[in-house]
Amino acid sequence: MGIYFFSIGMLLLGAILSIFVKEDWKLKVCTICSLLSAGLMLIPAINVMNTGVPFGIILHTSPILGNIDIVIDALSAFFLIVISIMSSLGLIYANGYMKPYLNKGMNISSHCFFLMMLILSMIMVVTVQNALFFLIVWEIMSLSSFFLVIFEGEKKEVLSAGIKYLVYMHISMIFILGAFILLNSYTGSLRFLDYLSYMQHGGAHANLIFALAFIGFGIKAGFVPFHNWLPDAHPAAPSHVSGIMSGVMIKTGIYGILRFLVFWGTPSKVVAYAVLAIAVVSALYGVLYAITQHDIKRLLAYHSIENIGIIGIGIGVGMLGLAYGNVFAAVFGFTGGILHILNHSIFKELLFFAAGSTYLKTHTRNIELLGGLIKKMPYTALLFIIGSIAICGIPPFNGFISEFLIYAGMIKGIPASSINLFIVLIMAIAALAMVGTMAMLCFTKAAGIMFLGNPRGVNLDNVTEVSGSMIFPMTVLAFLTFFIGMYSQYFISYASVPASMFTGGGDAFGTLMYLNEFTGDISCCFMVFLAIIVVLLVARYFLGLGKKLDKHVTWGCGYDRANNHMQYTATSYANLFVSTLKPLFKRVSHIKKPKDLFPQEAYYEQNIEDIEEAYIVKPLVMLDEKFLAKFERIQNGNIQQYILFGLVFLILAIIGMVYFGG
Amino acid sequence: MISICLNILILLLAPFLMIGVIKKTKAFWAGRKGVSIFQPFWDFIRLMKKGAVISETTSWVFRYTPVIGLAVVIFAALFVPLATGKAIINIPFAFVLFSYVLGLGKFLSLLSALDTGSSFEGMGASREACFSTIVEPAFFITLASIAALSQNYSFESLKMILQNAGGYGYIIIALAVVTLFIMLLIECCRVPVDDPTTHLELTMIHEVMILDNSGIDLGLITWSAGIKMLIFGALIANLLIPAAWAWWAAVLAFLAILFILSIIIGTVESSMARFRMTHVYEFIFIMSITALLILALVTYRVYGG
Repeated sequence: MGIYFFSIGMLLLGAILSIFVKEDWKLKVCTICSLLSAGLMLIPAINVMNTGVPFGIILHTSPILGNIDIVIDALSAFFLIVISIMSSLGLIYANGYMKPYLNKGMNISSHCFFLMMLILSMIMVVTVQNALFFLIVWEIMSLSSFFLVIFEGEKKEVLSAGIKYLVYMHISMIFILGAFILLNSYTGSLRFLDYLSYMQHGGAHANLIFALAFIGFGIKAGFVPFHNWLPDAHPAAPSHVSGIMSGVMIKTGIYGILRFLVFWGTPSKVVAYAVLAIAVVSALYGVLYAITQHDIKRLLAYHSIENIGIIGIGIGVGMLGLAYGNVFAAVFGFTGGILHILNHSIFKELLFFAAGSTYLKTHTRNIELLGGLIKKMPYTALLFIIGSIAICGIPPFNGFISEFLIYAGMIKGIPASSINLFIVLIMAIAALAMVGTMAMLCFTKAAGIMFLGNPRGVNLDNVTEVSGSMIFPMTVLAFLTFFIGMYSQYFISYASVPASMFTGGGDAFGTLMYLNEFTGDISCCFMVFLAIIVVLLVARYFLGLGKKLDKHVTWGCGYDRANNHMQYTATSYANLFVSTLKPLFKRVSHIKKPKDLFPQEAYYEQNIEDIEEAYIVKPLVMLDEKFLAKFERIQNGNIQQYILFGLVFLILAIIGMVYFGG
Repeated sequence: MISICLNILILLLAPFLMIGVIKKTKAFWAGRKGVSIFQPFWDFIRLMKKGAVISETTSWVFRYTPVIGLAVVIFAALFVPLATGKAIINIPFAFVLFSYVLGLGKFLSLLSALDTGSSFEGMGASREACFSTIVEPAFFITLASIAALSQNYSFESLKMILQNAGGYGYIIIALAVVTLFIMLLIECCRVPVDDPTTHLELTMIHEVMILDNSGIDLGLITWSAGIKMLIFGALIANLLIPAAWAWWAAVLAFLAILFILSIIIGTVESSMARFRMTHVYEFIFIMSITALLILALVTYRVYGG
């Protein structure tokens, strides 16, 4: 446990030191501290993962906070590993990414400070087991990430995205608070340990408590329909922050849901179905809107929603397995879902970093203007393509492994008794397959339009490959995607440790043995696959020797004056699909038609708005504004009257207390 | 061992013969004599000896895609029970692995099309990506339903329909054959979804994506397309050949089914024209409908009767 506090101390030290050192050194200090802290944190975390035995400590603090349990169990340990590794890679990347921003009078100090606070609060969130303290660190996490998002706060859209994020996080807070207040009022305790015994022994209102927690944490995680902050906040934030937020921070939402599930033990069928349904909708909705986006970071943000949906499908299948007593579905669902948390944090961070590198060099996030970057930034292009293949769940990369486990859980989880579950699972399988192919459409679009072909608008003459400090973390991440894909066995057995907190021992053990055996088979299969590729590549090389290889312009089907603007664009690539599903999108067009004999200015612009935002959030906000406008009379800027209001309130409060408290 | 060798031999040679038979059939319906059914093989050999012209715009993606595409279909074929009724690699949930592996080939071929910077190839890629979003769910519903029916999760479940579904088995098999045949037409770019022999690039799907490939690469791509056709043909054959047959009978039946399938494809191509692009969707949705019908029948069989 000492190591744990030492590691947290390192983060604090980094946060404080970064305020005082020279601007050039701030990020370096933070990086060193976070690397040390991550290295230290891995020791207890891996220890817990290996033994499966949780360990913790009770801090005796003031009477208000009560005794604070700090516990590292398998679930915490898993998240600790993800947080530590991914955050420190993000900080290494930040060194290169922030270079152009240094010594420009921007507030690097606060950026570094909040970056360290974000990591620290995430670590605390997954280890603290005291409701009040959990809420405090949760709030610190939301606030510090808010300050990271508004790093370029002088831009209007960045600030408004940041405020939107802040509002969403506090709506989330209300629901989480509600869940904890209910638990607290039934148990009279702040300790998670008591919640566990309360909920597991058929505590009343378990459904309600879990639903509140699911909504609260779901807003953080980005489940549809609570996702709306994601596509705005991620493009606004600097790329390493987007990477850490999307890769790691939104997973704390998943952690919260899983923690409440640990409390609950065996979920009810209704809630399990609801979780699966929301997850399936999130996955489909996320990828559907990702296809329509041309801002690369917005596109990736929508893919976070999709992947949170896939994680949710895993959890939902696991919950259904528990509810119906189907061990196989439970083990495979939870293991797949939890492994996908790790997998998604790896490839999403990789993609955000690669997108950030291109933004740094080309100063645009609009993929319609890019093209041909593969010749200027070969490593970034390769790494982005690897990330794209991984996120689509295509073997032999890591995304496949977790999705495969979820599929297996769904296919074999079909019970002989329930016709409902049968049809729901088959439909979920079809949905997951559709999500996979739509992700493929989306990422061939992103990678193909950004990196391949010829430049579509931005002049690439001065574009060069990014520095080593940015390539290095991306390479590590790309290697991890491949390594986890190839040697899935070890990682699956790691992911099954926290999963066993839900599924328990006994029957689950046999399933785990089966799991192990068959993931070993998959690794062997991929070895065969690699062997085939290598043999064919070698054969191709020798076949090609001594053959004439001419270079020529691309075949234009008889037309030989093709220029760069005649290439397929992202809009046209997605158009066939988007126009097929017209009713699902709200298109907003701005047209200025050419007029008169000598038309001067004309343009056509089309955007696709999020229907959830357009038809649910905006009307709600309008209603809210209408209602609140009635109170404008009270807010008249007259301080004397405000004091009067205070006085009236106090008198009313006293009367109330006398009357009710009597 | 013999079974594996036989399977590999079929895997390597049957694609060319299937294409040859299709061409011969088309020639027959057109009243021509046609080329020998071994001609695709000689074409392949000729392409292997040729140099190539590649576009200045392209990168390594374009250069390595044909090879990896071939590796992908060969690897995917290892999971499918070929002639002797046994897959070379038999693991549970093989159909998921199978379609995701084929996904790698598709992903790279889409990228390779965009790599050339040609608007025609981008158009083909867009269509290919779009259609597969409807094809895959239907394929998954079909295979998952059939797996649930027999509680067997590898491709062997295709052979077990009759044992587990009784009289309904015949209907399920018929629907599954239709589903897989449509999938074959889509994935292997045959008429009425795509016309590999048309002269107008605007109307193509897959063929337009490989406009810039030539020489060895083109040879590898045609070979992979043939293997893909063999794979889907093999899935259909698995539905039709009873599990109880002796291995030699199964092999003969397998080859016969491939032969008949090629003739059917050739006949379809001779008797109808390509659909308009908007109608292709409707055609693909037939596949979704048959898949849902299979699901309904399996549900009725398992839970209803």
